[in-house]
Amino acid sequence: MTPATLDPALSASKDERRVTRVRPELVTVLSTFALSALLIVASRFVSPALGSWGQAATVVSLSSFLIVAAFGQGLVILVGGLDLSVASLITLSAVLCTTWVGPEAGAAGILLIPAILVVCALIGAVSGLGITVLGIPPFIMTMATGIIVAAGALGYTSGTPRGSAPAPLLALMKGEVAGIPLLLIFTAAFVIAAAVLQQATGFGRRLYAVGASARAAFVAGVPVTRTVVAAYMLSATASGVAGLMLVGYSDGATLRMGDSYLLPTIAAVVVGGSSILGGSGSFVATVGGAVLLTTLGTVIAALGIGQGWRTVIEGSIILIALLLLRENTFARIRSWFPR
Amino acid sequence: MTTQVASLPPSAASPDRLVRLVASGAVIVTILYLILYGLYALWEPSALTAYTFGSLVNNTAPLAIAAAGETLVILARGFDLSVAGVISLTNVVMASYPVDGPGGALLSLMLCMAVGGIVGAVNGYLVAVLRLQTIAATLGTMIICQGLSLVILDAPGGVVSDFVADTLTDTLFGFVPVSGLIVAAVVGAWLMLRRTDLGVALYTIGTDEAAAALSGVRVARTRFLAFVAAGMVYGIAGFMLTAQTVTGNPNSGSPFLMLTFAAVALGGTSLSGGRGGLVGSIMGAALLMLLQKVLFSGGVSSFYTGIFQGAVLVLAIVFSRALTHLLERSRA
Amino acid sequence: MGTWKTGRAGALTTTLTTALMAALVGTAALGGPAAADEKKIKVYLSLSYSGNAWQSEAANVVKALAATPPYDKLVELKEVISGTDPQAQISAYESMIDAGAQGIISFPVSATALNRVVKRGCSKGVKFFMYDATVTEPCAYNVSYVTAGFGENSAQALVNALGGKGKIFLSRGVPGNSVDKRHTDGAMSVFKKYPGIQVVSEYYSFWDDRTTQQETGKALAAHPDVDGIWAQAGEYGAIQALKDKGSKLVPVTGENSNGFRLALMDPAAKQAGLTGVSAGSPPATAGYAFKLMMEVLTAKRKLEPQNIEYPLPWVPADQVKVCKGQKFEDGCNAFPPNVVPNSFVTEVFNPELLPELSLQSALEGKPTPGATIQPLPAEVKRAPDSPGINCQPCKAPADEYKVTKVEVKPAR
Repeated sequence: MTPATLDPALSASKDERRVTRVRPELVTVLSTFALSALLIVASRFVSPALGSWGQAATVVSLSSFLIVAAFGQGLVILVGGLDLSVASLITLSAVLCTTWVGPEAGAAGILLIPAILVVCALIGAVSGLGITVLGIPPFIMTMATGIIVAAGALGYTSGTPRGSAPAPLLALMKGEVAGIPLLLIFTAAFVIAAAVLQQATGFGRRLYAVGASARAAFVAGVPVTRTVVAAYMLSATASGVAGLMLVGYSDGATLRMGDSYLLPTIAAVVVGGSSILGGSGSFVATVGGAVLLTTLGTVIAALGIGQGWRTVIEGSIILIALLLLRENTFARIRSWFPR
Repeated sequence: MTTQVASLPPSAASPDRLVRLVASGAVIVTILYLILYGLYALWEPSALTAYTFGSLVNNTAPLAIAAAGETLVILARGFDLSVAGVISLTNVVMASYPVDGPGGALLSLMLCMAVGGIVGAVNGYLVAVLRLQTIAATLGTMIICQGLSLVILDAPGGVVSDFVADTLTDTLFGFVPVSGLIVAAVVGAWLMLRRTDLGVALYTIGTDEAAAALSGVRVARTRFLAFVAAGMVYGIAGFMLTAQTVTGNPNSGSPFLMLTFAAVALGGTSLSGGRGGLVGSIMGAALLMLLQKVLFSGGVSSFYTGIFQGAVLVLAIVFSRALTHLLERSRA
Repeated sequence: MGTWKTGRAGALTTTLTTALMAALVGTAALGGPAAADEKKIKVYLSLSYSGNAWQSEAANVVKALAATPPYDKLVELKEVISGTDPQAQISAYESMIDAGAQGIISFPVSATALNRVVKRGCSKGVKFFMYDATVTEPCAYNVSYVTAGFGENSAQALVNALGGKGKIFLSRGVPGNSVDKRHTDGAMSVFKKYPGIQVVSEYYSFWDDRTTQQETGKALAAHPDVDGIWAQAGEYGAIQALKDKGSKLVPVTGENSNGFRLALMDPAAKQAGLTGVSAGSPPATAGYAFKLMMEVLTAKRKLEPQNIEYPLPWVPADQVKVCKGQKFEDGCNAFPPNVVPNSFVTEVFNPELLPELSLQSALEGKPTPGATIQPLPAEVKRAPDSPGINCQPCKAPADEYKVTKVEVKPAR
């Protein structure tokens, strides 16, 4: 494959598109965060204890897992794919962490944490290669790797994951530095690093190019296979990181650990305004989507109504958020305020 | 995503019809099915009895019909997650409002299709008119349907009329499963629909939406109708599931979510639209259900069943793709 | 994806896949239908989902017993995991019946959806023994603690610990599940009698520690002043969520995880306000059901299909005692933290009914060295009717939610 030298004409046209792309995305980002803040403030009506910094802190800690896993999902969606193996990889890395590393791990044991992430990345590579080289639809390929990894984790643990969290992970999830939760610092650093990777590097630009049109990118000399495989590897690694964080959070692993994250990762990406068909979207908007969904969860949890109606409200708010965040809604609002 | 040369609209005649037919997903998945069935019969001789086959068909019918409905949406380049919600919802509606006798069964079927159709219309409006992304909009409606199911029935139970429970899982003349006839009826309706403008429009939109719009296809209307029709078909799936399980369960649809898409893909329908058909999806569903039986009779160790399922899923797709490829090349 | 370069590897791939397919099927065949030992009793173990500690412990107990002499010579046990989908379990039961099963021991995923296939199995002479969860088909044997009053007893214990007054959370199980509903109905029958008890939040834990921790965390954000938590399985997560929030703990009632039991006996936690009762679903039920089934299949016991009640484990905070060895001995009922994970469900043991078991049996499905199967007591306890759980149609007794384990204090 030819090295990644972008055709000057193509990159020029891309730059132009990026200018037009960024503006609605910025609006989406601002709106998701504004909606989240509004929800937190409005939730005072649900319970007087809500609407506080305490609730905001809960939201941050609960959404951190989703943010990390959704980063990977976002990259895969960006290249026009979908990753259904998120749940299994979260579980796998959690199980490997408690069994390989465990609570009494010394310095050598800690070195196994990167090894776990390498395992995840390799599984992501398998998905990516199946999709690019064998031409299997992403939906099926990642579903299959997900099923296989889940069965592997089940067999490996014989159904009962042993062990608990290593101390550094407990510290990461529960510790504080100068009164600021370590988790908040970690999440912020992760978001910045991830956003830079996706938005401001050559690799990030190649992801957008492949997502917009694999054929055009190929013609323009982008190493398509490598880029796509890398996206799946990063997604699997991000799921692995989320799994490690969950181990620190709940001090142990269960085989259902990742189950509740698959659909939310997709929802966070889509609520954040990315196109499910690929080629557009920004990670910061996905973070907004994750925060919005988690905030919604905490507010709905406090409503004193049956689970059925709570679920109905949850679904309805997702739809309303999607409708509000449509680009032409903003266009319409802007048209009301002529400059 | 897949940018392979899209197949011609199905009505277009071609000298290579036979090759195309053989290369189509439906035929390949049927061949795979027969091979696996042979294996199953080898290990489990009772597989060849009318009873075992009938119970397998009963077991397959709900997933097969759900996959058939999903295919309508996928052909027009969409994803419909609401399939899981509609099946749960129609299942609890039926178990909460049982009606006796053959007339009652028909009434229940109408009710299920109406419920599915309404959900489909909401999806269609959100997607075709308000232009939300299909996967996101249907995620929302799926969650709402699951919530409504819990509101209607807060724990498994309810009553299913004897006629529905017994007749729909019975066999006619000792060897024709009634549930199989219902699947056949869905296929029949599809074969008729496929010849209509709407059927052709589905493929055209899935292949190239902009070109379809330019050539005068009413994109929004077609997409809306695809969702409504799909919803009604999910309603039938919920109806058949209720007949089989003879109970209402607010979570009954959840297992269908992933399986439905797997069945569609196995059946050779492109998940990016424009290519494939209902029959393939139905056979894909049948293959998935058969796989459980084959793995059981083959004595695959329980913990690792999933590894085989995943591997077979991938291999079946690779196999059918490679075969299609070979046939296309030999034709060229 | 991937078709932007339509490969020349078509032929190669076909050959490869065909070979792989053949290999795959071949492997399946190797492990496949071995010539069944004619003399052995053919029993299948049908699991819903081996995804949590509870399910795998229950399965391990059955496997260990089946490998304990003299059963190791008598029975051929095969395990099948079919997931949480009733349709998959229907298909699995069908296959087992066709394969000539004499007994099926199972955790049924639905109380009603399996009835038809169970009935067909019964008509072919198959004995169905359901453990923990139940079916309403009368030809099956249900062996379960569900009717033993976990909900109402633990609720009463919580009310007593709170002095009949306070704000509480309900940490429930799986929405739309009949066992969850039975427990919660039982609990509410108690809470409703105390006007001072206020249920401020109700959420679903999916019987999972981590989910419980997150959901409890959300509820605590809205109600930091909670006075007590009534929980189903996953209770250890509720304690972790309380700890995440700060120093104050409150009374918690829950099920049988080792983490919860150790927390109940921890002096520091007690100092911080934790007290409660550990009760609920015991995986040992599976072992009891299996031994009953074997006694029926070997004609050692005559027993008509019926609903059998397994006693409710009941360990208040002051009775938690850590075991020194591999078994529940000298009244101990929990294990040291480095021996089992927090999510380990302790109630795998029963010194009277299941003396054959040790920790190794529960964790690995291996028989205890030197153990032999001991006969069960002749008496079985009939379970009361519970509509939609172990019978349908039927009527629950008037004292369905009678509190039996603790004193009922009058409301103030």
